[in-house]
Amino acid sequence: MEFSPENPLTAEPEIETSHAEEFVEQLRCVTDTLPSRINIDAQSVEQGLAKLVLTLIEFIRRLLEKQAVRRMEGGDLSPEQIEELGLALMKLEAKLQELKTQFGLTDDDLNLDLGPIGRLI
Amino acid sequence: MKLYAYCLVEDLDPFDATTRGISGAAVRALQIDELAVLVSDFNADSVAVTRENALDHAAVVRSVLDRTTPLPFRFGTLVTEQQLRSYITSRKPALQTRFAHVRGCVEMSVKIIREVSTDNEAPKHDEITSGTSFLEEKRRALLGSEQKATEATELSTWLHEQVDSLTRDERVVVRPSEKLVLAAAHLVERDKIPQYKEKLAAARKNRTELHFLFSGPWPPYSFANIELEFKTQFGVS
Amino acid sequence: MSSSFDQMIVTEEWESTDLSLLETLDHVLNRGLVIAGEITISVADIDLIFVGLNVLVSSVETAHEVLRKRQTE
Repeated sequence: MEFSPENPLTAEPEIETSHAEEFVEQLRCVTDTLPSRINIDAQSVEQGLAKLVLTLIEFIRRLLEKQAVRRMEGGDLSPEQIEELGLALMKLEAKLQELKTQFGLTDDDLNLDLGPIGRLI
Repeated sequence: MKLYAYCLVEDLDPFDATTRGISGAAVRALQIDELAVLVSDFNADSVAVTRENALDHAAVVRSVLDRTTPLPFRFGTLVTEQQLRSYITSRKPALQTRFAHVRGCVEMSVKIIREVSTDNEAPKHDEITSGTSFLEEKRRALLGSEQKATEATELSTWLHEQVDSLTRDERVVVRPSEKLVLAAAHLVERDKIPQYKEKLAAARKNRTELHFLFSGPWPPYSFANIELEFKTQFGVS
Repeated sequence: MSSSFDQMIVTEEWESTDLSLLETLDHVLNRGLVIAGEITISVADIDLIFVGLNVLVSSVETAHEVLRKRQTE
């Protein structure tokens, strides 16, 4: 980007990159998070609620997984406990997947954008 | 009749009355106490997110950038005059602090793409039959994402160090598991823009494994918010 | 309840590969001053939760009412 003193601040901002296509691909997500149609009929209220609930569960589920891995690494679980814990979490993951499918939600749908804090997942 | 609000300005005398806004409506400066709001009349109940509207919005906000630093409203802000008045009078001190913070500056953007390794993807479910191997697999994935998180933080620190002496403030969003790993907004004093650009042009040469996008100058969109929204909503001070 | 996002309709123009437009959108859509009283986001649009957690609360309440009504119909 060459700086030209003649370029006033009221002109359109300059954009400079050598990988325009890649950035286009990534920035498309900006508009993807906007709903294609906003309505408050009962079905989308239900789906919206499901999305919220599942997002929270998914968040907690991931925390649980992390915690389980830490405990396992920490060496204070017996092999049987590890196996049981793993199975329980495996079932939880499968159950959540089922619910996602039931409501037609993808992993992306469940990823809340918390602004400066970043994404939930 | 609703108003489409573009931005808040501190002082704008005289205002260039030839600026056109959304749907070609005339833009005017609405005086509220010692501040002014750039508005245009808006006839419908909805603002479509179209190319024209987005560009019109951006054009109005930057039309004053030569003379003053505005606080932009978010796209789609439709209000009555009364709402504007109560908003401004109730938040005057916070708004004035904001103005002081951005005064004389513009926003510059840096976005960075980095190739993400995929060797930590979880194997198919039918390969995992025991709880133990399930957890072990999770552990591997976790290590992978921790690594990515560390790299992303290092990248953020590196960028910060490049421009810290030239920026008044920054807003950075880091997304360790995505290609677009970092998006930064820098608040830069106008006379420091050439140095800022030079610094980044040089820095970029040292990181050829990364893909950069630089844009600007912008009005201070990322620095306009007067407080964290959820703090406002829950009354936490 | 109404909101600026409530009122937006996304058109199908987003086949656009216009980088400058996308950068502009990234700046004007998710940032800037928000007039809180006016931002009420429909429950279907959870991605905007950051902009109004209190909105979420009132959205959930609205959702309860709607669901309750459906049950009594």
